[in-house]
Amino acid sequence: MPVERMKIEREIVVPEEPGEVWEALTDPDRLEEWFASEAELDARPGGEGVFRWGDGKERHAVVRELADGERLVLDWDEGGSVTIELEPAVEGTRVHVVESSPEFAPALELRAMAWTALAAA
Amino acid sequence: MDGARGGVDRVFAALGDAGRRSLVEAVATRGTATATELAAELPVTRQAVAKQLSALADAGLLRATRAGRETRYEVTPAPLEDAVEWMVSVGAAWDERLAALRRSLAKKT
Repeated sequence: MPVERMKIEREIVVPEEPGEVWEALTDPDRLEEWFASEAELDARPGGEGVFRWGDGKERHAVVRELADGERLVLDWDEGGSVTIELEPAVEGTRVHVVESSPEFAPALELRAMAWTALAAA
Repeated sequence: MDGARGGVDRVFAALGDAGRRSLVEAVATRGTATATELAAELPVTRQAVAKQLSALADAGLLRATRAGRETRYEVTPAPLEDAVEWMVSVGAAWDERLAALRRSLAKKT
């Protein structure tokens, strides 16, 4: 099966040590300071996460992968995933985020033709 | 059916290209944009941007309107709605979250 997903990628460098950043990624109280208004996370492989936002949005996730201080991968219930990787940098810690989309395939049949010209260009 | 399938694959192949994806994302975020405006914030030449924009317009993904000496582009909603909507909203969400993460970390130390 072809991969029919899109990706958003972001990277920042923060002055703090990877250990401090890791805590902000995995401790629910800390997650509520930046990721969601309400956060529950069982930070271990297979653990579940529930995140709520002020606009009433709620997303559920499962921890697919967790490497202490280095890498956290969440799979969203509705499809798609988030990978957050930490890497020590001279200036502190590099935080690299990749979110991949759910599959858009069902809605795309009609759009395919429009892209043919582009793919050939 | 194989033909349609192949077409869908090409959609994602095209969107999978980081350069084109960031162009579509940049146009969608701004609402409308010209090659000059986009080249100013992307690590590519105006000529390269203009060529990609023109190809995207030929493919029906962007709509081109002449504005004086420049061509102004906007995303055509029909062919790309879901995908662009996802890219723009998820991209903006991460920009906000990472800024909040930075603030949260700074507060602790």
